Amino acid sequence: MLETENELHKKFWEIFSKQDRQKIDEFKTHMDKFAINFNLYKDGNFIERSLPFDVIPRIISKEEFSKIEKGLQQRIQALNLFLEDLYTDAKIVKEGIVPQEFVEQASGYLKEFKGFSPSKKIRTHINGIDLVKDTVNDSWVILEDNLRVPSGSSYPLSIRDTYRKIYPDFFEQLKIEPIKQYPSYIKSAMNYVSCGGINVVLTPGRFNSAYYEHSYLAQEMDAQLVRAHELVVIDKKVYFKNYNGKRIRVGSIYRRLDDDFIDPKFFNPESLIGVPGLVEAYLAGNVALMNAIGNGVADDKGIYYFVPKMIKYYLGEDPILHNAPTYLPYFKEDMEYVFNNIEKLVIKDVAEAGGYGVLFGHEMSTLQLEDLKTAIKANPRRFIAQELIEFYDEKCYLDKELKDRKADFRAYVVMGEDIKVWQCGLTRYALEAGNYLVNSSQGGGFKDTWVMEL
Amino acid sequence: MEQLLTANVATNLYWLGRYIERIEATLGQIMIAYDQIIDVDKNAGITLYENFSTELEYTNAKDFLQKAIFGEHAANIAVLAGYARENAIICRNHINTQAFGEIIALNALFQKSSNSFVDIDYKLIDEAGSLISEMWGEISKTEYKRISDYFLRLGQLIEKADFNFRFDEEKETGIIIIDEINKILANLEADKETNVEQTQTQEMDYEVIINNIHKKIQDLIID
Repeated sequence: MLETENELHKKFWEIFSKQDRQKIDEFKTHMDKFAINFNLYKDGNFIERSLPFDVIPRIISKEEFSKIEKGLQQRIQALNLFLEDLYTDAKIVKEGIVPQEFVEQASGYLKEFKGFSPSKKIRTHINGIDLVKDTVNDSWVILEDNLRVPSGSSYPLSIRDTYRKIYPDFFEQLKIEPIKQYPSYIKSAMNYVSCGGINVVLTPGRFNSAYYEHSYLAQEMDAQLVRAHELVVIDKKVYFKNYNGKRIRVGSIYRRLDDDFIDPKFFNPESLIGVPGLVEAYLAGNVALMNAIGNGVADDKGIYYFVPKMIKYYLGEDPILHNAPTYLPYFKEDMEYVFNNIEKLVIKDVAEAGGYGVLFGHEMSTLQLEDLKTAIKANPRRFIAQELIEFYDEKCYLDKELKDRKADFRAYVVMGEDIKVWQCGLTRYALEAGNYLVNSSQGGGFKDTWVMEL
Repeated sequence: MEQLLTANVATNLYWLGRYIERIEATLGQIMIAYDQIIDVDKNAGITLYENFSTELEYTNAKDFLQKAIFGEHAANIAVLAGYARENAIICRNHINTQAFGEIIALNALFQKSSNSFVDIDYKLIDEAGSLISEMWGEISKTEYKRISDYFLRLGQLIEKADFNFRFDEEKETGIIIIDEINKILANLEADKETNVEQTQTQEMDYEVIINNIHKKIQDLIID
């Protein structure tokens, strides 16, 4: 189902109808030429590939985006307060808003960091919030918070430049919000929380799926792109190793690897992509990490359930953007509802991401549903259930035809001195009709997102 | 403020310069030999590849092109282009975006040709030459003022010196190249010993000089 066409859509189609469609191929040529890749590992093989791109942008009116913006600012502010509280006084737990047991069983909760407060008390620096537009209420619904290492922003950034070159008419004739400022948001946030020194982007390396993005953002932010062994920790301070042997103090690290791998001395000793001693430097307040260690607890799909309560608790406000209706089998009454309605619900494994661990009740056999119920009963904390959100399709120009595909929207929110919402985002669409999984790691493609006004 | 570079990036820039120059110079030599093989000297390709310590066998001029570019030997151009691409990806945020694109396109050109059933001809070399010229053109826009450019240029010059030596070209050209290498090394804040004495250049064994420079560059990059 498509959204009702408004004046902005009409203006777009009017210009699109006059464009040379042969030129669409130039996008792929451009992405190949500049190796704008999202790599995959398949059957143990490293495959370099460009992310499928669709030329029809998602169009969001400035007015509508303004509401999304306010809702996201509110949500990130609350989530940051939650994390800071959780790792210090834990009032929200003590007051029973979020059950203690629930927090402690979250795989992303790191009790070793209890009592530590990072630079400027900011933990949620760079955030990717996944939303869909619900066809029933015609409103935006939040599906997931990604407060660890959300990826994807470089793809719309890169493609927008190309779009302007290939089809300048749209940008001449329509009022489309510019988007180039996103790397400067991150740079400002890095500078704001910096503990003194240069900014670096820490990448797992050349064979990471998002290496292009690491490289691109580092360049756009004037930060050094480094691998772990290009940093060294001396006396709890982090230094960049220059080619000539000089060591330059690092004040802020935008790390593109998960907590488990960040420091082999503290976390996984097998990690070859972490910096030995980094956690010590971080705990000593000598380096800022973006995002903070321990944010995984807020990404837990079970904790997601409590975000509206957090907004009320910390800000005294009603949520501007709503969650999908969610049930926690952890609570007895919810378990009952889930078991009675399992065939129409979406069941998610709380610790998974990237579209993994998502089961659609309506696609499962009776036997599979029974097995799932057994698994839920054995470990109710591990699962959440959500009503299946019927979200709008987006028009896609695939195989030289317009086709409807499910599409979500990842919004990027950067927290530094203030909270900035990027006037763009990553619209991801499913390659097959009717598929609800749009994640890049599930083979989905992406579109540009135009925030427009008349 | 001085430009910061990791040792890995500096090394990859250096090798990028080397591979691109090697591809360009080798293609130039291949075209000369190709022309000779047609109706002047059937063995011109064999003689050429002796300089690369490679025994190349071919049946005619077209077969020479195929074997020279895609043959199983160390001077395989498609493989070199792949190496250059890899170097470029690692240090992409220190090179001009357009130049980066030309390197990716250069590799794609050779990969596509190697998978094609159509025999390759001079057009492939022309096209590759154009991409390389465009790449150097884009890079030269910064007038080699950045440290990253120095490493790239250093790689290019070392390869030029190496070709000069292999093909026994004019010694004066070699002296000019080494002079330029010295200037770059000086700019990279190498100590005095890093410089290769120009006065010795004409008397010393050229191979020794080049090996000496290699050693100095290795010492310059501290991992």
